Amino acid sequence: MRKDVLIVDDEPAIRRLLVGALDRVGLGHIEATTAGEALRLAGGSQQPAVALLDLGLPDRDGLEIVPQLAAMGLAIIVLTARDATEEKVAALDLGADDFVTKPFDSAELLARVRSALRRKGGTSSDPQKRSFEGGSIDRGTHTVLIAGALAPLTPREFDLLWALAERPGRVMTHTALLETVWGPAHRDDLDYLRVAIRSLRKKIEADPSRPTLVMNEPGIGYRLASPGDVQGTRSHTVRAAKNT
Amino acid sequence: MVSMTDPLPDRDAERFLRIARMEARGRLTVYLGAAPGVGKTYRMLQDAARRQAEGIDVVVGLAETHGRSETAALLEPLEVLPRGAVEHAGRQLEEFDIDGALARRPSLILVDELAHTNAPGSRHPKRWQDVAELIVAGIDVATTINIQHIESLNDVVAGFTHVRVRETVPDNIFEHAELILVDLPPDALIERLQAGKVYLPDTAGRALANFFTPLKLAALREMALRFAAHSVDRRLSDELATNVDKADFVAGERLLVAVSAGKGGARVVRQAKRLADLLHAPWTAVVIESASARAVRGSQREQLADTLALAASLGASLMTVAADDIGAALVDQARQLRASQIVIGKSRRSRWFEWRHGSVAQSVIRRAKGVAVHVVPLDEPDEKPDSGDGPYMARDNLLAFLLVAATVGMLHLGLPWIALSAIDLILLLPVIVAATRLRLRAGLWAAVAAALSYNFFFTQPYHTFFIHSPAEIITFGVLALVAVVIGGLAGKVRRQAQTSAGVARHNASLARFAGLMGGLSGKDETARVACREIGGLLDVEAIIVSLEDNEIVVRGNDAYSRIDVVDEAAVRWAIENGVATGRDTGTLNASDWQFHPLKTSLGTMGALGLARPSQERVIRPDDAVMLASLVDQTALAHERIVLEGQARQVDALRERDRLRGALLGSIAHDLRTPLTAVIAATEAIPAEGDYAEEVRIARSESRRLQRFLHDLLEASRIEHGTIEPKWESVDMTDVIASVTRDLRQEGPEARVVTHIESDCPFVSSDPLLLRHVLINLVDNALKFSPTASPVDVELGCSANRVLCCVLDRGPGLPQETGALFERFQRLEGGDRVGGSGLGLWIAKNFVEAVGGTITASNREGGGAAFTISLPVPAPRGGQDGSADA
Repeated sequence: MRKDVLIVDDEPAIRRLLVGALDRVGLGHIEATTAGEALRLAGGSQQPAVALLDLGLPDRDGLEIVPQLAAMGLAIIVLTARDATEEKVAALDLGADDFVTKPFDSAELLARVRSALRRKGGTSSDPQKRSFEGGSIDRGTHTVLIAGALAPLTPREFDLLWALAERPGRVMTHTALLETVWGPAHRDDLDYLRVAIRSLRKKIEADPSRPTLVMNEPGIGYRLASPGDVQGTRSHTVRAAKNT
Repeated sequence: MVSMTDPLPDRDAERFLRIARMEARGRLTVYLGAAPGVGKTYRMLQDAARRQAEGIDVVVGLAETHGRSETAALLEPLEVLPRGAVEHAGRQLEEFDIDGALARRPSLILVDELAHTNAPGSRHPKRWQDVAELIVAGIDVATTINIQHIESLNDVVAGFTHVRVRETVPDNIFEHAELILVDLPPDALIERLQAGKVYLPDTAGRALANFFTPLKLAALREMALRFAAHSVDRRLSDELATNVDKADFVAGERLLVAVSAGKGGARVVRQAKRLADLLHAPWTAVVIESASARAVRGSQREQLADTLALAASLGASLMTVAADDIGAALVDQARQLRASQIVIGKSRRSRWFEWRHGSVAQSVIRRAKGVAVHVVPLDEPDEKPDSGDGPYMARDNLLAFLLVAATVGMLHLGLPWIALSAIDLILLLPVIVAATRLRLRAGLWAAVAAALSYNFFFTQPYHTFFIHSPAEIITFGVLALVAVVIGGLAGKVRRQAQTSAGVARHNASLARFAGLMGGLSGKDETARVACREIGGLLDVEAIIVSLEDNEIVVRGNDAYSRIDVVDEAAVRWAIENGVATGRDTGTLNASDWQFHPLKTSLGTMGALGLARPSQERVIRPDDAVMLASLVDQTALAHERIVLEGQARQVDALRERDRLRGALLGSIAHDLRTPLTAVIAATEAIPAEGDYAEEVRIARSESRRLQRFLHDLLEASRIEHGTIEPKWESVDMTDVIASVTRDLRQEGPEARVVTHIESDCPFVSSDPLLLRHVLINLVDNALKFSPTASPVDVELGCSANRVLCCVLDRGPGLPQETGALFERFQRLEGGDRVGGSGLGLWIAKNFVEAVGGTITASNREGGGAAFTISLPVPAPRGGQDGSADA
């Protein structure tokens, strides 16, 4: 039977909490306490789609198994401490999709899990098209629609938005964006990215000084808000919990 | 083979130190005149009266009126210190009363006649030393001097006046003095002299009268003018050098003067001092210890020591180098010291002498490339180093005769078996032996004796000195030549061996001493070993004296655990002023001990005391350089012990800090995991029904606990100085958005309203630190403002700053906001609202770590306003890299 989420954490209390939260919203799960077990379960018959991965594991550094889990097709959400910026960037660059900072808010965590599941399962039928909260982007026609109107993006802004929208909700590190959009020679030119993000926001955000679409993770990178995880997440999950 | 008594001083550091020291010192004003009678005392008294009128506490320590009524009249309104009485040889002598002056402690004291020599039994032999002590004590001094009494000009003046002045004052006294030139044209001075207005001391009356020719007075006046101008010039450059960077000093001049035994040495040193002053260059006096210089003994040796002492008193550092080729060694040293100028003396000698012995000056000039060579001509040739020590000479000659006599005797006995032609060869033997084993002169005597014996005993006619054939003359000549050649060679070899043995012994002793000193720990042990070794090496009694809590502590020698009052005064003087004192020195020489300060970079660590039971000099002239090295080594050892002690303390502190940090880290980690579970669990419980309020309390309190923990960790990072910003280009819009998003997680009560000016420039900063600052400020604002009113976050920018304000409608700040950003400061019983009391302190530290400032003020209409101001980096090319897009 297919399970949605692989929980990898050696702390029983955290595991129990995660299990409880997933149970409440009706998501299937399996648990691993070590890196070795995680790899075995990920490759097993239950084919989990998302891994909730704690990096401090007893047998190996969690970072080491990120590339392997990613290669098996799992969307990885890393659980880390707040100040571990370098660890987060490393995990994202190795193929993780997202991170949740401990101590976490279960509502936020569930929103991230759902967002990741949507990316895995419900990929748009057309690989050239993506949609996001309040808009869509079409690589075939090179058009961006915001609230039904065409947004006049420059080619660079279009590339940037596509890099973010290809998998909405996924965090792209600064370096990854710079390499994808400007090329490897510019991987450290953060100013380019800041300027481009600002002009992009002016064209697609309702209020560019209070961004809700192109979100920054300080010191790490940017993510494009995926439908459903912008604001009001708490009431959302509470309702969901009651429904189940 | 270099031993240095004084490491080359870092001129700049020295200069700053000097200025720092000067702050607390008194100022010296010197009234300088070209000759007696120009009116120095008069002018000094006039100025003093004016100063007194200005309300300054002026006292006349000593003024010579020489019976002139107008000068005496000037003394009337001033307080005059009674003279002190000094007993000497049953007579009462009057002298300047230094202790009275120190006790009276005026702001300004007048002490006439700086060059005066004090009566025997006074504290200092010279009055200028009294003046130096007053200045060190912080009292301003005004004094008078005539140009010919200045040490470095002494020779020059003597040169054209033919009057040698014995009372001289070292130049360094004038280094920080304000020189006031009291000038009188020569004609006017001569007029005054003829009118009987100039007082001349009886003893020197006639000699001094020699000064008063218009020509000599004009020359003296010119010298005085030049000296005064030069002094102003130097003080100006001193001031400049403290302000200007040090580059020109690195590239500056350095002067090296070759010091030799002999009368001319002092003169060369004075000349070098003047040159060094003109060039503003540091200078080093070098003694080249060559084989022949080693042979120098007795009075010449002492003369060399005196010359070196003169050089040191004029501010030179001293060095001794062992080498045979004086010229080559000098140039070599100049190169090593990067000296740009060499000063050497050259006696006038016959060409014949120079042809045979070579001239050091010639040799230096030939070798020196890129170094200026100054040759100071000396009138009187140095006395030839007397190559023999008298008593040995006679003994050697006698031995030479005995050798020849013995050989002749044996020849007589063995005559039947010896071929006649071999006799002259056999007679060579005593000559060779005498020339190699004894001295050259003994070899020559042996040669003469052998030749005469040969002629007398072994050639026909026997038993006469009649020379019968030219061959005998040749034999005679050969014997003499052999003696000269072999004697010369042997002597050279022997002297070289002595030189290197001496130097090797010297270096071996020093190396052994340094090795011993390096292995010690503890003051007592160091002092004991140092005193034992120094005592052994120099054949003296040694102690180490230090000041601990202003008490004199004597260490290192069980035989001397206490010293008397005079010695104590000498110790204090040595330590406080960093100069040698006591026996054989210029200061407090009534003491039985000679004290050398142990100077280190940490200050003077104490003094090394040396004594010798007999009446000889404590330090033999030969040992002066060695002593300087030993004093340095001892000082270094003491410094090392102090530094090691400090290092151990620092290590212990660091280790304690490390442990504390590790403990905090592990506690924080251990707390974080359960706290994560608690927070996640309380968030998961719906705040509804009967327990809704309890759930809300659990949520907010667990969040509070989390913040507190976080603050503690950040505070420990700040305290350990481990805040290292990760610089990147930051859009403050992003930081504010991230903070509001975070706060929204905490619940709907997080009521934050943002007002953002669009297109503010990016700042170069650490986004995580800034986010933390902003969270703390907003948190703080939320705590203090009433529930109904929102907290405003504003972003604005000016030309070169980005400003982020957090404003609330709380009770506002007290008048005094200075303590606000300190640790554990909370406004008015903050327990009510909670918080660690670290938030603002952390905010301030983080903002400052990224080069910004944080200020607090009261908001118009009530409430507090916190403003972060961040600098905007100067625009770089390529910043608008996406403009092409």
